[in-house]
Amino acid sequence: MHEVLLIARREYLERVQSRAFLMMTILFPLFIGLMIGGSVFAGRLSSSAKNIAIASNDPVLAREVAAEMEPAPRSTKPTEVIAPATDAERAALNRRVEDKTLDGYLWLEKKPGSNAPEATFVSRSSGDLFSLGGIESAIDHGIEREQLVRHGVSSGEIDAMKHHADIQTMQLRQGQLIPSNSVKSFFGAYAMMFLIYFTVVFYGMNVARSVVEEKTSRIFEVLLSTVRPQSLMAGKLLGVGAAGLTQMAIWILLISAIVVISAGALPGVTGLTSYGIHPQQLFFLVAYFLLGFFFYSAIAAAIGASVSSEQEIQQFSMVIVAPLTVGMVLITYITSNPTALPVVLLSLFPPCTPIVMFLRMSSQMPPAWQIALSMLLMLVFIWAAIWVASRIYRVGILMYGKRATLPEMLRWMRYS
Amino acid sequence: MPVVDLDRISKSYSSKVAVRELSLRIEQGTIFGLLGPNGAGKTSTIRMMVGMTLPDSGTVRLFDEPFRRDHLRRVGYLPEERGLYKRMKVIDQLVFMGQLHGLDASAAKARARQWCERMEIAESMDKKTQELSKGMQQKIQFIATLLHDPELIIMDEPSSGLDPVNVSLLEQTLLELKSKGRTILFSTHRMEQVEKLCDAICLVDQGRAVLEGTMRAVKSRYARDRVVVEYEGDASFLTDPSITELREFQGRAEFKLRNGADGQALLASAARHARIFKFEMVEPSLEEIFIRTVGGRTDA
Repeated sequence: MHEVLLIARREYLERVQSRAFLMMTILFPLFIGLMIGGSVFAGRLSSSAKNIAIASNDPVLAREVAAEMEPAPRSTKPTEVIAPATDAERAALNRRVEDKTLDGYLWLEKKPGSNAPEATFVSRSSGDLFSLGGIESAIDHGIEREQLVRHGVSSGEIDAMKHHADIQTMQLRQGQLIPSNSVKSFFGAYAMMFLIYFTVVFYGMNVARSVVEEKTSRIFEVLLSTVRPQSLMAGKLLGVGAAGLTQMAIWILLISAIVVISAGALPGVTGLTSYGIHPQQLFFLVAYFLLGFFFYSAIAAAIGASVSSEQEIQQFSMVIVAPLTVGMVLITYITSNPTALPVVLLSLFPPCTPIVMFLRMSSQMPPAWQIALSMLLMLVFIWAAIWVASRIYRVGILMYGKRATLPEMLRWMRYS
Repeated sequence: MPVVDLDRISKSYSSKVAVRELSLRIEQGTIFGLLGPNGAGKTSTIRMMVGMTLPDSGTVRLFDEPFRRDHLRRVGYLPEERGLYKRMKVIDQLVFMGQLHGLDASAAKARARQWCERMEIAESMDKKTQELSKGMQQKIQFIATLLHDPELIIMDEPSSGLDPVNVSLLEQTLLELKSKGRTILFSTHRMEQVEKLCDAICLVDQGRAVLEGTMRAVKSRYARDRVVVEYEGDASFLTDPSITELREFQGRAEFKLRNGADGQALLASAARHARIFKFEMVEPSLEEIFIRTVGGRTDA
């Protein structure tokens, strides 16, 4: 045990004292900070003032559609209405759009005998889906208003009849109602899932690379005369895992600090809980990172021991990346359907568990037995991975010059 | 007491037999040379000796006991293929190696300093390994092997990469360790070094021990049929039919006597023709024995 700890300590210190560790420790929270800042900035941009004109051959329709248009925030101008509009006025509107004095205009042409007008939206950009959605809704409601006006109801009476309901979303967690925001929760879940994915893949591949490095530098020859290969592998996994955990702890603290500080300073950013990040979740973040790390790094150690150069590791990296990517690809489906049978089964399949189970938790806490089962299955898989990997490792690290074939690796596993 | 006792050990990798029923004993306080052409099975034998691989058959005994891993704390092993952690400081590296061999950190540090001073690399202790020359790295590995004061020292090609001054420093250190009762096994291709240092040898070829014993016993198996003569005057005695493999220099000749030839008769003939200063019948060099035994094959 003493030698395992000595090796783990060396592996840990080598990593946390490296320049790469320092750079990653700073850059990752910076990246998350930029993402938060970027999302706030993008939100502001999309809701920035837009000057839109409405032109129609039917003045009532134009006026009522204008009444339904969302007033642009911070816009000083009311929506401009041109009705009845002529072809010359349409040409003038085109020029204004080209001159950028107008962001766009809506051309509504009502044909005799038809209630629905032909609508055309003209702007400089090819398509702004969010604006178009709002305009379509305004036209639909505008037509209703126009019909009511034609039946003698005044615009003022219509406004008085309309009520807007604001929906407040609440999440039930352990008997407590917590205000939630599905967009922010999605963002929080995505950020934490990315954290697990990134650290598991990065530190897993780090194990493979360091095994190859020690193999090519022949330091194994020196170490193996005192240390068992199994102890060498165990020490490496523990040391690299501890370095990953340290980095994750620093990131969680830094990202929390960024979110908490910016919650006061930036509108639209609130505390960690509004991102669906709860203390309980941080515990599972660490737990699933560790489970994922030990499973994949044992496989990575075996990969490192059976190849002869860093380039060859790349060919095997899909073994680690592919199962974890499944969860990332299905993120929307998993967070929307956390109790669907395929999702439950996927979350209990150990190679996918760290990402999928964690995503399920972000959306809705799974039953305790499923969490316990997922962890138990992972522990069984970790044990099996370490058992297989240590056998390949033991023989593979003394084999130089060529990549091992599958039959060779199977034969190595039989050596005892 | 034999410090190393290998009894008919064998090892095969896939279809290749690396070691076949090899037996050898190394007595305490001796320097033992393990020799053989490349691929003869030397490294495979050493790896089994230090538990890196297990023999398919046969037994390994260290310190007069069946092999146990805790014996390795009493062994210092310098492999032929050696490496160091490139980004680690020399002193940290040595302390780490010392700790793996059971020393505590402070003792390892103190010993590392002493050895670095003795090997004349004290000024490089705080440098990273990657900043050092190959020769310096060799010395660090040499120190790492000896830091825990092992009773059995196993060195595979210890002088490769060292200049003559450092080879001499290494040889002195090995002789000093021997005088302190340490047992040393070393494997090398440098026959003159083996002749100078070793008490006993084992020549391995194709996984088998083909020649084994003390240096004297090994050499005594070969006839003293090589002659060195220093003379002045008529050199016609060198045309004698008993002479073969003649090499002539100014006033000196080296040759081999044919089987059954009489050295005394040749000396009498030479004395009749020339003034003889030296007529020595020497035993074959280890290099000659090596070449004769493995049939000139150096890369099996």
